[in-house]
Amino acid sequence: MTRRKGLVINDRQLDRCDDLLRKLKEVSGSSFLALISTSGQPITTASDDYHPETLSLASLAASSFAATQQLARILDENEFTLLFHEGNALNLHVSQVTDQVLLIVTFGRETQVGKVRLYTQRAIEVLRQIFEGLEDDATPEMDADFEAAAGTAMDDLFKDV
Amino acid sequence: MPLINFAAREINYKIVYYGCGLCGKTTNLQYIHRKINPDARGKLVSIATEEERTLYFDFLPLTLGTVKGMQTRFHLYTVPGQSYYNASRKLVLQGVDGVIFVADSQITRLDENVESYLNLWDNLLSQGDDLSKLGFVIQMNKRDLSDIFSVEDLNELLNHTDSPVLESSAVTGQGVFETLKVVCKQVIAKTA
Repeated sequence: MTRRKGLVINDRQLDRCDDLLRKLKEVSGSSFLALISTSGQPITTASDDYHPETLSLASLAASSFAATQQLARILDENEFTLLFHEGNALNLHVSQVTDQVLLIVTFGRETQVGKVRLYTQRAIEVLRQIFEGLEDDATPEMDADFEAAAGTAMDDLFKDV
Repeated sequence: MPLINFAAREINYKIVYYGCGLCGKTTNLQYIHRKINPDARGKLVSIATEEERTLYFDFLPLTLGTVKGMQTRFHLYTVPGQSYYNASRKLVLQGVDGVIFVADSQITRLDENVESYLNLWDNLLSQGDDLSKLGFVIQMNKRDLSDIFSVEDLNELLNHTDSPVLESSAVTGQGVFETLKVVCKQVIAKTA
C-alpha cells in the first residue's frame, strides 16, 4: 500500500469542486453527486432535492470501492477504477479521482449510463488537477486553541453518559 | 491524518476499534450509540453475518459540534475480529487517525489477543503510515468476568508502545466513554 498523505482543502479548491459538480450534475442528468475521501469521509456534495444520508453513504461507498480494488488484485488485474450498482429506480456510480479521492454519482433509469460515464470521466480529469496539488502539500494549520476547545467540547458531550 | 476541509469548516477523524473475535468491539459501539445524545450521532451501520459476527465493519459517526468554527466529527469503525478476515481489516485501517485495541481479559483468550495485537501492527506497518501521528489506546475489556488476567500482565504482553491503558466492561458501559475520550484527545493533540 502507498503511504497515506494528508488532505486539506481550502476555499478556492472547494469552490472549483462545487462548480464542477454542479455542471456535471446538469450535463449528465444525475440526481446526486459527492466527492469523498478513500477513508470514507465526505468532502462536498451536489444535489437538488435528493439528500441521502451522506456520512453512511461515504463510509460504505469508500469501503466497497476499496474491496473492489482488492478483488482486482486477487484477479491479477492492475486495478478496477469504477464501481457500478444498478437498481430498480436508481443507479450508483463510484469512480476514482486520485489515490485519496472518489466521486459518487447517482442517477435514475431515465439517464443513460454511457452519458454519465462520459461526462464523469471528463470531470475527473479536471478534479484530478485540483486535488493533485493538495496532496503534495497538505500540512494542516489548526488553530493553537483548537485542542483545548475540543477537549472542553468532549467533556460536555460525554458528561451525562 | 484527518480530512480537514477549511472551506466547509469541517474536520473528520477516523477511529478504529481493533481486537480479536468476540472481544467487545461492536458492543463498545452499540453502547455509545445507545447512550450518547441522539443529536450528536448518526446511524449505526453494521455489516455482519447472520450470526451477528462482524463481516466487514460497523460504523458510527459522532459529531462533537463546532469547535473554534470547525464542525468536528469522529468516525468510529470496528474491524472483523476473526483471523481469516484480515483483508477486510486492512481496508478499514486505511486513513486511520486513532486505534483502540480492545483486549479480551479472559485467561482463555490470551493467544487470540496476542495474535490480533501483532496483526494490528503488521497491518499498520504495511500501510507505511507515520505511526508517531497515530493515536493509540488499549482497552482491557470484560473486567467484570472471573478468570481474567491482571492489568499488569496484560500490559506487559500487549503494550510495547507504553500507551494509555483503560479497564472496561463494554456490556455494562464501564470505561467505554473514558476510552473513547482518551483516543479522541490524542488524535486532536497530534494534529493541533
